[in-house]
Parts: sequence; structure tokens; C-alpha cells
Amino acid sequence: MLVSFLLALLITCWIYYQGTHRIGDIAFNKNIDDSKFEVCNEDRIFQYYSVGTNYSNGEKEIKRQFSELMSNLTFKNSGFITFRFVVNCNGEIGRFRVKTVDTELKENHFEERNIRHIEEKIKKLKKWNPGSRKKQNFDSYYVLTFKIEDGKINDIF
Amino acid sequence: MKKFLKIIKIVLTVLFFSYSIIIVYFVGFSSKDGRFKVAEHAQGMYLSQKMFDILIFQNADNSDLYFEKSVAFNKMGQYAKGSELLDKAVQIDPKIHLGYRGWLKLRKLRSFDNALKDFDRLDKLTPNVIDAPWGEDIDFLRGECYYGKKEYQKAIDMFNRSIKNQKEDWADIHTFVYLGLCEYELGNYEKAISEFDRALQQSQTTPESYLGMAKAYHKLGDIQQAKNHVSKAEEYIESKRDDVYNELLNEIYLSDVIAFKESLNN
Repeated sequence: MLVSFLLALLITCWIYYQGTHRIGDIAFNKNIDDSKFEVCNEDRIFQYYSVGTNYSNGEKEIKRQFSELMSNLTFKNSGFITFRFVVNCNGEIGRFRVKTVDTELKENHFEERNIRHIEEKIKKLKKWNPGSRKKQNFDSYYVLTFKIEDGKINDIF
Repeated sequence: MKKFLKIIKIVLTVLFFSYSIIIVYFVGFSSKDGRFKVAEHAQGMYLSQKMFDILIFQNADNSDLYFEKSVAFNKMGQYAKGSELLDKAVQIDPKIHLGYRGWLKLRKLRSFDNALKDFDRLDKLTPNVIDAPWGEDIDFLRGECYYGKKEYQKAIDMFNRSIKNQKEDWADIHTFVYLGLCEYELGNYEKAISEFDRALQQSQTTPESYLGMAKAYHKLGDIQQAKNHVSKAEEYIESKRDDVYNELLNEIYLSDVIAFKESLNN
């Protein structure tokens, strides 16, 4: 009986873990994340497209805010830098993670210094509208992509 | 009493084993269609990905499995992994998946040249079919690619081909908006106004057309008409084109309208 119980328990734990974790989840990492940034409900962080999270006046406005960096930062490679982060229910942002690919969407690398510059600039964006449903605000994950072409940030979306 | 406890033990053992067997059967051996649907609906969950892994192990030539598994990665911005899976789907069945890959490259990555490559290849593979990648006319999407590349005359050719194939009344209303935007960029302001007006013939609540017309009238020096049209753009801004996943190439915001309106008053 013990063996059958342990097997059932093991399978239940496996199913629970597989059913409660998602691709792209960002858990707090004390080594890289700002401890002052808090989510409102750790167990319920939506995707931006499910709850309508957005930036006031859209990515066009983000591009305006980045205009100086778009002119000044130079890159050796082309491709895409994608930031994924949390917009909490108060419209604050944190827990940044970065993925980079080349123009053929294969993993590649961009200058670390430039990535840090971009991240610091994103942190200064203050007009986030948190995701909401039925007048209640929620935490959500947001994705912001920087297109790098001809050595410059060519587009942000 | 001992006999009773023994019976209880046997019953519980059978129950625990049955439970485990049912779970293992459901995840690994039940109907493939059923498991596919469950994995599809649980998009993004580790469980969904594991079920796709098992299905792929059991049916490595089914392109839909790679495609469905890729969707969550691309939505989360993990394009290396998403693209690897989607490329595999395209490799197995290009006619089915090239359109979606092109659409993804256009809308989520603004990778216009790569999107065009996929659309053009799909078109060659299906010579007698007007393709509709992810439900949108292929020439409309190619027009968007050329608009993104700032190759406005080529964009106009594609949008006109889309209208010819879809017919005026059935074409996407933003085909006309894009035509207006392209003509505007080429400096053909009167033509731009007539193209924007074609969109308004389909729907009087198209703010992108009103804003485009206002800018074209401004270029032609007709400030009163520019003011009239920018007010209409403001009135109908709630009807603007948008998308929950990504900002669109011709997307406008109330702030754009107000900024232009204020510039007319200065």
C-alpha cells in the first residue's frame, strides 16, 4: 500500500507543479531583482494581452522617450532584444528578464552595457496602465521588443 | 478486525494504483486528438508543453504539434525557442504554416523582409489560391510589409491587388487607410484624401482616415477642412484599430490627434 500511495503522491505533486507553472513565469531573484518592487498577488500574474496592460499612448510614446538612446547607442550585431517584466497592479515595473536573438531568430548576444542602458531607461517609464478586469487591477507580465538594425535601435514595439 | 484492515489496505492499494494508472494513461496514452485539445487549451503551462513533448515523441511528423508548442514561447517573447519549433512545423508542412510564420514575423517582430520571404514562398506553393495567413489577405499583409519598409509604391501595388482580389466591399477597411497613408508619404495629398475617403465609404467611424485627411488638407493649405477632420478623428477615436498583442503599424492614439489639433490652432 505504501508504494501505491507514494506513487500516487508523486504523480499528484508532478501534475500540480506542471499545472501551476507557465513558460515565462518570473520568480523573484534576490540577486538581480529590486527587493522594493512587490507584486500584489504572487499567485496570480496574468499575461498583458489577457488584461489589457499598456503604456499611455502606446509604444509610440515609449519610442519618443527613447529617442536619445535610439540615436546614441550603437551595436555591432542586428536582431532583437526582448525584455519581459512585471507591471504590478499599481503600474510599477520590476523583475526584468532579457532574451536576445539575431535577425534569423537564433540566440545571439548584444553588448551587455547597451542592454543595461536600455533596462535603466525602461525603469524610468512611469505611465504604465496596469491590467484590469471588472474595475480591478492585476499584476501582469509585459513584453517589450527592441529591433536592432544597422547598428542602432530601429524600432520599439 | 485484522481481516477488515487487510481489506481496507487492499482497497486503498487498488485505488492509489488505479489513480496513478488513470493519470499516466490520460497524459501518455489516451486519444491523441483529446490530448492535443487539452494541451492546446492549457497553452503555456508546463503540463501543456510536456503533453506536446509526449505527442511529438509518439508522432514526430505531425506539424501541428510543433506549431502549437511554439505559440506559447512566441507569445512570451522567447523567440529563439518559438522559432525553432515553428521552423520545424514549416519544414514538415510549409503550405500550412508558412503563412502564420510570415504573419508572426510581420506583426510581432516587424521583420518585414523575412515576413515577405515567407509570404512569397507560400504564394508560389499555392499558385491558384489567394492565401489568407492567419485570416488576413496575403496581399494586405505584403502591403503592410512594404509600408513598414517605407517602400510606398510597392505597398500601394499590393494594397490595390488586395482590393482587386477581395472586391471593394469586402476588402479590409484599413487597406484604404494604408493607401491614403502611402499616397500621403509620396506627397500625393489629393489622392491620399480620396483613398482615406474610400475607407469612410465603408465606415464613417474610422478615426485613422479622418486624421490622415486632416493632415493631407493641412498640407494643401485648407486649414478649415483640416480642423473639421481632426475633430472627427477625436470624436471617433474609440473606434480606432488596435490589437491586444502588439501596437499596429498604422495605430493612432488620442494624444496624436490632440497634438495635431493643437498644432492647427497655433
